[in-house]
Amino acid sequence: MAATTSSPDSDSGRAESNEANSKWLDAHYDPMANIHTFSSCLALADLHGDGEYKLVVGDLGPGGQQPRLKVLKGPTVLTESPLPALPASAATFLMDQHEPRTPALALASGPCVYVYKNLRPYFKFSLPQLPPNPLEQDLWNQAKEDRIDPLTLKEMLEDIREKAEVPLSVQSLRFLQLELNEMEAFVNQHKSKVIKRQTVITTMTTLKKNLADEDAVSCLVLGTENKELLVLDPEAFTILTKMSLPSVPVFLEVSGQFDVEFRLTAACRDGSIYILRRDSKHPKYCIELSAQPVGLVRVHKILVVGSTQESLHGFTHKGKKLWTVQMPAAILTMNLLEQRSRGLQAVMAALANGEVRIYRDKALLNVVRAPDAVTSLCFGRYGREDNTLIMTTRGGGLIIKILKRTAVFVEGTGEVGPPLAQTTKLSVPRKTRLYVDQTLREREAGTVMHRTFQTDLYLLRLRAARAYVQALESSLSPMSATAREPLKLHAVVQGLGPTFKLTLHLQNTSTARPVLGLQVCFLYNEAFYALPRAFFKVPLLVPGLSYPLETFVESLSSKGISDIIKVLVLREGQSAPLLSAHINMPVSEGLAAA
Amino acid sequence: MAEEKLGMKTQVPASIESQKPRPKKAPEFPIVEKLNWLIHLYYIRKDYEACKAVIKEQLQETQGLCEYAIYVQALIFRLEGNIQESLELFQTCAVLSPQCADNLKQVARSLFLLGKHKAATEVYNEAAKLNQKDWEICHNLGVCYTYLKQFSKAQDQLHSALQLNKHDLTYIMLGKIHLLQGDLDKAIEIYKKAVEFSPENTELLTTLGLLYLQLGVYQKAFEHLGNALTYDPANYKAILAAGSMMQTHGDFDVALTKYRVVACAIPESPPLWNNIGMCFFGKKKYVAAISCLKRANYLAPFDWKILYNLGLVHLTMQQYASAFHFLSAAINFQPKMGELYMLLAVALTNLEDIENAKRAYVEAVRLDKCNPLVNLNYAVLLYNQGEKKGALAQYQEMEKKVHFLKDNNPLEFDSEMVEMAQKLGAALQVGEALVWTKPVKDPKSKHRTNSGSKSATLQQPLGSFQALGQAMSSAAAHRKIPSGAQLTKPPSLPLEPEPEPTVEASPTEASEQNKEK
Repeated sequence: MAATTSSPDSDSGRAESNEANSKWLDAHYDPMANIHTFSSCLALADLHGDGEYKLVVGDLGPGGQQPRLKVLKGPTVLTESPLPALPASAATFLMDQHEPRTPALALASGPCVYVYKNLRPYFKFSLPQLPPNPLEQDLWNQAKEDRIDPLTLKEMLEDIREKAEVPLSVQSLRFLQLELNEMEAFVNQHKSKVIKRQTVITTMTTLKKNLADEDAVSCLVLGTENKELLVLDPEAFTILTKMSLPSVPVFLEVSGQFDVEFRLTAACRDGSIYILRRDSKHPKYCIELSAQPVGLVRVHKILVVGSTQESLHGFTHKGKKLWTVQMPAAILTMNLLEQRSRGLQAVMAALANGEVRIYRDKALLNVVRAPDAVTSLCFGRYGREDNTLIMTTRGGGLIIKILKRTAVFVEGTGEVGPPLAQTTKLSVPRKTRLYVDQTLREREAGTVMHRTFQTDLYLLRLRAARAYVQALESSLSPMSATAREPLKLHAVVQGLGPTFKLTLHLQNTSTARPVLGLQVCFLYNEAFYALPRAFFKVPLLVPGLSYPLETFVESLSSKGISDIIKVLVLREGQSAPLLSAHINMPVSEGLAAA
Repeated sequence: MAEEKLGMKTQVPASIESQKPRPKKAPEFPIVEKLNWLIHLYYIRKDYEACKAVIKEQLQETQGLCEYAIYVQALIFRLEGNIQESLELFQTCAVLSPQCADNLKQVARSLFLLGKHKAATEVYNEAAKLNQKDWEICHNLGVCYTYLKQFSKAQDQLHSALQLNKHDLTYIMLGKIHLLQGDLDKAIEIYKKAVEFSPENTELLTTLGLLYLQLGVYQKAFEHLGNALTYDPANYKAILAAGSMMQTHGDFDVALTKYRVVACAIPESPPLWNNIGMCFFGKKKYVAAISCLKRANYLAPFDWKILYNLGLVHLTMQQYASAFHFLSAAINFQPKMGELYMLLAVALTNLEDIENAKRAYVEAVRLDKCNPLVNLNYAVLLYNQGEKKGALAQYQEMEKKVHFLKDNNPLEFDSEMVEMAQKLGAALQVGEALVWTKPVKDPKSKHRTNSGSKSATLQQPLGSFQALGQAMSSAAAHRKIPSGAQLTKPPSLPLEPEPEPTVEASPTEASEQNKEK
């Protein structure tokens, strides 16, 4: 392998591609590997004590239908066995001090932890049942002895649900859903049972018991749905301690040893991160995020949290925020990258755009580009290679990359300094000959231009004013502007001829005053048209309503001639019309009247 | 339903029969919370399709008793925009767990998103009874009261939220309330605390910088905007604000370099192109300035500041007809600004429309009470028209304003303005020494203007500065006429030959200054 000096990261796409290639060897890529899992269900361990590290996968199966436990060696699946339920977490730990040092495998699923040794089932730990509500238990005892009827049972259970702090059991909740006619049968079927409340495991990790050695005995730490943390003894699988949380834990991080001093960090469903210590049954510190945590990784003494706001945050163990880095896409999962040969610890964040970004604090060290969105990450010794990155994708693919032994992660300087956009030119249109000529012309003839414009503007205003006055004087407008008779008129001609229907829509547009005493008169050429009702009175016009006034027009000409009919609206006793309209009659399509 | 009933009927006899030979146990109920962890994992990584599939499966298996599945389904509905369905599901959760404050919080949030702020406050108050120390409830109550315009209650709630747990959002909301109430000092105080809590938040830094800019505290404004640009070099709000400050100081090239970043990010920002245009104006590249300002005017046709700048640049280019149109449009949108009328008067003067120019000057004098330049320009016009009495009156008015400004702000006046005032004073035979003693003694060449004391908007300082300079150039151009006018008088006075050479010499000097500028 040629020894080359790695260059720092840069923002250039090609340089980035070369950069990514220069640090990692593409050991394996199978887009059809059919592995659907999370980072918490991946583990690397020397399961058989032969120095060959295997990959343990708690596989949910496509669509969560066929959960399986798979053990991979190199690119191939070594063993595969079905699981009774979906795995929530997988971890390997040393149970005892016996030789050879072969770690056991713990798989959390539902309320149980299945422990395997040499890949054979060894032990099954079940979470203890939760204590039921005493009132609820008493009610069901009464039902068992037929001392209570279903209706009363329902009322009292609802009362308990309304007020009690302890939730009801599934049996009671199911009962409360029933219809009246179903209650009797349900009670008879279930009354002899003891009610149960069972919680499930949501997350799991390991904590050294008393020594800090790499091959020391470890306890199991379980997070449960009823907001508790349990620490299990690795030999007897008894509960060593139990701690309460305000919310359900989703991600766990531990440091220290159980018998000496330890620190437990839990990212929970309420968007907060709680930090607990050895002697505390409740959180000692709390970090409240503005969004949900997507991942939690401890790097030396810094807690790195990914949030659903597409950002990474660095916190101290006492909850003080140190820094924030924005991501280009949503974070899907996070994990720790530890390169022991160089003493490097970094955070890996897999994004929805197919990138896997590696950060030390807020400095971006490397970007690995995957062909699909990476949904689980794992870094460590695999086979006989110390620094291997294993990724599974959303479509079920498996990617294995080996970090070159000569790779050095250097903090990139590409993102420091002024942005690239600062070097681009502004798109300002160029000066043209035409523009210069126009400018010079305006300089010379500006006064003439201005006067001409003003003169034309005045003429335009004058013409508009004259046209307006003329319309007012001759009442040519279909709108009446007088204050006493605000009217609006428009006409519609229907038919093909020789007979047309002429409909006038007359509207009183005043707010309150009705209009009466109006007349409508038609002026037309008698050689072309005949109107039986060329003059008629208009009824009282109520404000706001549009009145259709109909009359018929007979076309007398057979030569395809059309003419204008003028409509006048007059007040009784006055000769000047209030308003008028011109109607352009269509050409008659039919035969003329005989 | 009928099938279920039939099933039940069938089941009952079987149960009775089986009880007698051997009692048979009923099947175990599935654990209601079995898949909650999986639902949550899919939700936080925004894989909503997979999440909905698991929710559907879980609700079927538990017959609708899995509260968390309903809860997350409601959250997803809300993200998809179905606020009403989301609200109904959250209310179902509240029925399943009446003592759980989270469900009430989500009901309240859905009501908030539906715009029912009053109902949301009631539900939040119910949730607060269940959980006393929840900063989110206090914060969201503050937001709701803000929308209901009950600002004092909003402030109380937001301060409670900050005492429980500090978050940037709460500081930002408090700052907005103070700004809505017009209390700039308290808003600055809040944003200061926010920046102390979150030193790398560029939004807070930018907002604080802009507030200082409004108050005229340029040093602190520049400091905070610089910090914002250190953490986020492509923050366009901070770049626009910092760039406008650079323009005020004449650093046009630096500002242009900064504006390139914004041009890549938001190429259709009217303030950006307005500022770029005025950078080119400062560099005397007038054609480029006109191009950029016309682009800004196209993007924001009703912004009077852009029209003001366009009018100014066209005055500089001696395109008085175009300047007239732009300034008229600006006056239509901003009819209370005296400076616009002054510039319009300058344009009309050059278009030889003296009568309307006088009307514009009258309006400018009426509206602008503290700018001596308006009176000086008006005096020059009146003098050129031979109205010495009017010119003298305007000159004296200008002197009053100059005295006032000197008493309140020791400012250096524009040297060209001073020179013009001196010449006009000499022409009007006013006791020159009495007024201009100090400037004569201290002939500083600094180009600072009295407008600097005004509290101007982001683009205004540059505009005012250039407006004054340009107006002075226009006013200076009129000195040709007084020379001619003065030449007609020499025959009547024996002493005329002595001042005449001085008057002739100064036009050359003024024109040289014009070229130099």
